Amino acid sequence: MSKSKKRIALMVGAGFVPAINAVVKGSGLAASKLGWEIIGIRDGFEGLLHPDHYPDGGLVNFSPQLIENLDPSAGSVLGQSGRIDPFNVRTINKDDMVEEVDMSDELLKRLKEEKIDGLISVVGGMGLSILYKLHLKGLNTVCVPRSVENDIASTAVSFGFNSTLTLTIEMLDRARKAAQSARKIAVVEVIGEQTGWLALQAGIAVSADAILIPEIPMDMKKLADKMKEKISIMRPYGLVVVAEGAKVIHKTKKKEFVSSLKATLSPLATEESSSEFVIKSSGKAAEMVATELQLLIAEETYPLVVGPWARGGNPSAVDRQLGMAYGAGAVQAFNENKKGVMVSFIPPEIKFIPLADAINKIRTISADNEFLKIADSIGIYVGKEGN
Amino acid sequence: MMKTQSKNPSDITGIVLNIQRYCSHDGPGIRTNVFLKGCSLRCKWCGNPESIRIKPELSYDSQKCKGKECSICLKPPFPEGAFYFVEGDDAKVKVNWTLAMNCTEEMASLCPTGALEMYGKKMTVNEVLDEVEKDASFYRSTGGGMTISGGEVMLQPDFAAALLKEAHSRGLNTAIETASNAPWSFLEKVLPNVDTVLHDIKLMNSERHKKWTGVGNERILANFKKAYETFPNIDFIARTPLIPGVNCDDEHILGVLEFIKPHKNVIDYELLPYHRFGLGKYESLGVVYELDDYKTPSDEVVKRYQAMIDEAFGRKAEP
Repeated sequence: MSKSKKRIALMVGAGFVPAINAVVKGSGLAASKLGWEIIGIRDGFEGLLHPDHYPDGGLVNFSPQLIENLDPSAGSVLGQSGRIDPFNVRTINKDDMVEEVDMSDELLKRLKEEKIDGLISVVGGMGLSILYKLHLKGLNTVCVPRSVENDIASTAVSFGFNSTLTLTIEMLDRARKAAQSARKIAVVEVIGEQTGWLALQAGIAVSADAILIPEIPMDMKKLADKMKEKISIMRPYGLVVVAEGAKVIHKTKKKEFVSSLKATLSPLATEESSSEFVIKSSGKAAEMVATELQLLIAEETYPLVVGPWARGGNPSAVDRQLGMAYGAGAVQAFNENKKGVMVSFIPPEIKFIPLADAINKIRTISADNEFLKIADSIGIYVGKEGN
Repeated sequence: MMKTQSKNPSDITGIVLNIQRYCSHDGPGIRTNVFLKGCSLRCKWCGNPESIRIKPELSYDSQKCKGKECSICLKPPFPEGAFYFVEGDDAKVKVNWTLAMNCTEEMASLCPTGALEMYGKKMTVNEVLDEVEKDASFYRSTGGGMTISGGEVMLQPDFAAALLKEAHSRGLNTAIETASNAPWSFLEKVLPNVDTVLHDIKLMNSERHKKWTGVGNERILANFKKAYETFPNIDFIARTPLIPGVNCDDEHILGVLEFIKPHKNVIDYELLPYHRFGLGKYESLGVVYELDDYKTPSDEVVKRYQAMIDEAFGRKAEP
């Protein structure tokens, strides 16, 4: 792609993440500086594939004035779609029957019709694979990684994680005080189907008694023993933080428990499973751990779910900066003629990673992770041997 | 939908998901259920996700995978990136469903352990019926026969019609399970050789039907009404998968009873309490289940609605 004036589009994948507008603003400002035009696609690819569904034709022209006045603390000005896979678009056919069709050619054609030179795609892990597949078909795209779980491997921090962490800490503080006044053990479930970054980092911040993460299956008997040690007449309460995808070595079933459907689909879910109890909805991890724990010790427990609450809210200072940086970085990638890459923040640099290297990797917590050592050193039980 | 086929009726092919013998809940007597692949609705509670798409599709069972010692699916002809390992994991292969969706039957057959398999295979009418007839003696002694289920039988009208006609010519009792979201011309092809029709009425309110299944119900209800009137000799049994928060209410049950009661050939209305037995299949297909926050209906609620149905059909309610 030449460095002449370009027309760049921006789309946002499924799932709300704080600071999406910061990415829009960052890319818009960087594009304006180069004299480029930037437009937004409404609701994932919907605005492009079904322009007739929208009064404004499904595309938003981001004028310099609009970009200047865009509030980076607000949600996504473009909206979002539950599904963004153009290879698998649910439609009603001419016989009024529902079917999934491949509209990837139509998507590429529409981008050409709109004279779009490149596409900034703000996506999570699954979205990266879809954009990689489109890239193989000729789409010129630069992806921006967003994840509240921080599970995308080829970047140190996805935007959205820090805001979610901030809110999760605030909610855990409240849960801790509530448990203190109720003289019970609060078992709080937080976001984290594939990895336990939020549970671990938030749990450390509020000095929880125990943290259950998908990476380390937890023996409930050992957890109960640890909680017995911690609870006393002077401290008659407790706080256990559980990631949604936490795996528990089940007391009665004698096998690991996977708490949610998405967790069973995760790269880490490989234990033996049977459908009647493996697949549960979000919110079940806290319920299961609280119930099991109460059966093992002479204390009352109660489950709480932070989960979806932490997805909303204002972006943190870190995410506002990160969003702006990722947005500007995506424009920079186009300016450097990079194609099929993901913008990656590897402190202190912004880098561009080929999508082929970014997919099929999950950023998980390794056994020698520093946060695990910190948790251990301040007396938080995380289920490791010798912990 | 399958294209119209013009050949010897016995040689007409369809995509068959499964043939299940010794069934007893889908029509009279002991039956063999033939599950066709492909559905024209997208019910969020669907217990058979492997039947939704008409094309054969890949499934993966991680328990059968031998992991890194095999690794055959990481090499051609498998699509690049479709299968991978995660660092630090326990050596089972993972599936990138976005990149694996075009895997073929030939590729799946290369998997030595059967961890990769295809849901659905092409079969002729004769091949299906030869399998079905293995239990002909049971059908004769119990009044049973063959039930075509799905997916949606109306998505393969030529194949289904040929299968039913040939089944009748071999003296088999026939039944179909259908939601009938299809043009009337498809029903007209399929119904002439059917003895019993088990048909779903999922929601009476069209707007809500669209929300939960993907389309409104106007055509479905019109099809049923026309079918009751056009085929007076067929026994129709209405059914509702009962789902709290979706259709488990008086309005729906009374609405269905009002709809079916004027038609004497609608001989029963069955409630199918919602279950989650199909959820494991979503995992093997890499599909996320959309209705994970709903519970099964209580026995008390089911009994209450069953009593309403029994009363409407002039039966004495069970104590």
